[in-house]
Amino acid sequence: MQSFDVVVIGGGLLGCFAARNLSRWDLHIALIEAREDVCTGISRANTAIVYPGYDHRPGTLKAKMTVRANGSFDSLCRELDVPFCRCGSLMVSYGEQADAVLRKKYENGLSMGVSELRLLRGEEAVKMEPCLAPGVTSALYAPTAGTVNPWELGIAACENAVANGIALCLNTRVFAISHTTDSYRIETNRDVFSARAVINCAGLYADRVQELVFPTSVHIVPDGADYLVLDKAAANLPTHIIQYEPEDGGKGFNAVPTVEGSLLLGPSERDNETDFAVSEKGISFVYGRAGRILPGLDLNEVIRSFAAVRPNPRREDGSSIGSFVIENPAPGFWSLIGIKTPGLTCANELGSYVAERAAEQLAAERNESFDPCRKGIKKVRGIPLERRNAAIQADPNFGEVICCCEDVTKAEVLDAIRRGATTLDGVKRRTGTGMGRCQGSRCQQKLITLLAQELGISEEEVTKDGKGSEILGGGRDEN
Amino acid sequence: MKTELLIIGAGAAGIAAATAAWDAGCRDIVLADRRERPGGILPQCLHEGFGHAQYGRELTGPEYAQQIAQKLNQTGVRLVLGTEVLAVYGNKSAVLSDRSGLTQLHFERLILASGCREKSIGSLPVVGTRPAGIFTAGQAQEMINLHGQDLGKEILILGSGDLGFIMARQFAQSGKHVIALVEKEAHYGGMARNYHRCVEPYKIPILYHTTVAEIHGSGRITGVTLRHLDGGGEEEIPCDTLITALGLLPERDLVRGLGEPEWLFFAGNCHRVHDLVDSAVSEAERIGRAAAE
Ligand SMILES: Cc1cc2nc3c(=O)[nH]c(=O)nc-3n(C[C@H](O)[C@H](O)[C@H](O)COP(=O)(O)OP(=O)(O)OC[C@H]3O[C@@H](n4cnc5c(N)ncnc54)[C@H](O)[C@@H]3O)c2cc1C
Ligand SMILES: Cc1cc2nc3c(=O)[nH]c(=O)nc-3n(C[C@H](O)[C@H](O)[C@H](O)COP(=O)(O)OP(=O)(O)OC[C@H]3O[C@@H](n4cnc5c(N)ncnc54)[C@H](O)[C@@H]3O)c2cc1C
Repeated sequence: MQSFDVVVIGGGLLGCFAARNLSRWDLHIALIEAREDVCTGISRANTAIVYPGYDHRPGTLKAKMTVRANGSFDSLCRELDVPFCRCGSLMVSYGEQADAVLRKKYENGLSMGVSELRLLRGEEAVKMEPCLAPGVTSALYAPTAGTVNPWELGIAACENAVANGIALCLNTRVFAISHTTDSYRIETNRDVFSARAVINCAGLYADRVQELVFPTSVHIVPDGADYLVLDKAAANLPTHIIQYEPEDGGKGFNAVPTVEGSLLLGPSERDNETDFAVSEKGISFVYGRAGRILPGLDLNEVIRSFAAVRPNPRREDGSSIGSFVIENPAPGFWSLIGIKTPGLTCANELGSYVAERAAEQLAAERNESFDPCRKGIKKVRGIPLERRNAAIQADPNFGEVICCCEDVTKAEVLDAIRRGATTLDGVKRRTGTGMGRCQGSRCQQKLITLLAQELGISEEEVTKDGKGSEILGGGRDEN
Repeated sequence: MKTELLIIGAGAAGIAAATAAWDAGCRDIVLADRRERPGGILPQCLHEGFGHAQYGRELTGPEYAQQIAQKLNQTGVRLVLGTEVLAVYGNKSAVLSDRSGLTQLHFERLILASGCREKSIGSLPVVGTRPAGIFTAGQAQEMINLHGQDLGKEILILGSGDLGFIMARQFAQSGKHVIALVEKEAHYGGMARNYHRCVEPYKIPILYHTTVAEIHGSGRITGVTLRHLDGGGEEEIPCDTLITALGLLPERDLVRGLGEPEWLFFAGNCHRVHDLVDSAVSEAERIGRAAAE
């Protein structure tokens, strides 16, 4: 049995940020994650937008948090050494109905103090983004909108939390929780944990994790969404986030110029299919919308499609819930249930919100040695040549390119493995290997060799994303 | 640093261009490749079928590579291996990276001989999951022939070009079960010669008018849904490995955006995809001579 003051369940964006903010207090903290790595759930697949905040009902926690989170995103990303691009967003309309929606959002945004918001005429928007399909009637321009790589942010928060003393327990799945007067007993496949407080950030399973010990009136009804990724070298890429507001009030659509340089298109709508498998209907929706809104894009330059799962929170009667659900069913137990958009934007705010409540309840003192700063993996792509040369002089591994599409060197890969990557996807999420146009076909063998060497395992044991996804030997289960 | 002629890529085309340029009188040539040995894709092509037009008999890829490397060795071309060319600039310079540092190399003329890359499955509207066990044909060839890897047992191949054929035979010869080659067109894409050598003798079926519509499996691939495009419906086929042979795309990213300056030449598969090495080499020799003038 291991004893902690606080156990955080779930190492997605929210769990990582809850752990980071808890480590501001003098508490003994564990972050428990079922999978082999953090940020492999909802947090690995989303639209990557840091929202300005005009979408939400004024006065709600969601609205307040989003505006505040957006305002402090530069400093957050500086602390965590994560690339953040405040590229601004253009929400465009092609008709009167949608014009009215944009006006309403504009007024909404003004009343909440979203700064620099502007309502543009169609011509002005097309001037800013000539790649837009003609006929734009108006656009809502939010210069404060931006984009960040979600898993890069989550991993950074986790590393920062670990550096500040939390215990990270991977491959550890919670299956039972019981409550005595002043503590919780958490049973996992590995060990039993006891804690004075529990923060449940189990993402898609947050309702069920709470139900292991307390009832909940909120249930997660997941649905899926699909995305396409366009090569960074494709022509006519927009430089702002483009958001399409359809005239018929249907599903919107985003085109996001990512921090890596590629263009993310999506999400789609879909019914009934709820896993991380790309759906036919969804993907043709994305192709269709992309072609219509950004007609200059060459959709032959698509390099990947992927699926996401939304954790929609619903009440007992099936009605959907628009606000963030933070349940506190008993002293010392908090659940973040069904946190979807803008959960990435608000991850640090939400983490800090629950951390403060837990700290208050446990009457914790401040952790005087807390350091909010984390240093990221040193990357050489795109840096000035003198600095890149100096990096090679200090470590020759910076001279050896492993992933030629994304320009990732051996030094970066080794650093990622030393920081905890144990799979191909783990290295990819930390360095960008395999994210480019050849999708890893040229670097995979080199990565297998490096992972095996560094982890002290055989190449046959190297996986894509955990047990059962071995690259070699046709999958090991059948052997 | 300075050189008269920089050649990027020491595959068949780069080697041939360098040798021809030397023979035409150019005495200051740098030939750079990211790989540790010359020959480009040749060392991984263990099958016979190279150089018939030049040598009157068919060599294996490594044998062919050795032949042309021997000629190269008799020249004073500076071969720099393990060297990534990171960028090419319009002011006629390139940045090379290796374990000792970066080199800015100024050149008078440049031959890009960077080969091609394989189209990946990500570019197709294939639905389903994204599990382990999906390899491009060239990647599979490299992993098996140069690294001795065992990829799987139940193999499905998407695409019926030469690369698909050659890998089908290689899997069949090593005792794996090649379920089928899947081709969306009405005819196979590779050369007839390769069909008769690689597919027929092993009785590997080619499913025409068919494509992979969906991928199944959460960790490792467990199967695919095949769609018969001529109205024959869909069927699920179990497999533990999917090889994609979807075609080759000339690799010209280094010079994207530079336009067509008179100092820039293309040779080999980055110019256009050559089915036969003889044709890549004779073209490259011509270009090497032109660049030497
Ligand atoms: C389609 C889509 C698009 C989005 N776009 C945006 C956007 O553009 N901008 C924005 O701000 N937000 C966006 N979001 C919201 C954001 O992605 C989510 O709010 C956020 O990722 C939620 O993270 P999480 O930590 O709750 O979930 P997860 O990342 O799923 O983490 C939960 C973790 O808990 C673990 N776990 C579950 N059960 C157990 C157990 N029993 N024991 C141990 N561990 C367990 C899981 O393995 C998982 O790692 C989007 C969301 C979706 C779905
Ligand atoms: C699987 C396969 C089987 C074949 N079988 C036959 C056959 O049986 N008979 C036949 O006649 N022909 C065959 N061919 C065709 C023929 O072999 C090829 O067309 C020819 O070898 C291509 O040579 P290349 O030099 O253009 O390209 P490559 O051999 O691909 O060489 C390009 C080189 O450039 C390097 N490079 C690229 N970018 C950079 C950079 N930025 N920095 C440093 N280096 C870089 C690469 O590492 C590579 O070594 C086959 C081809 C393949 C792929």
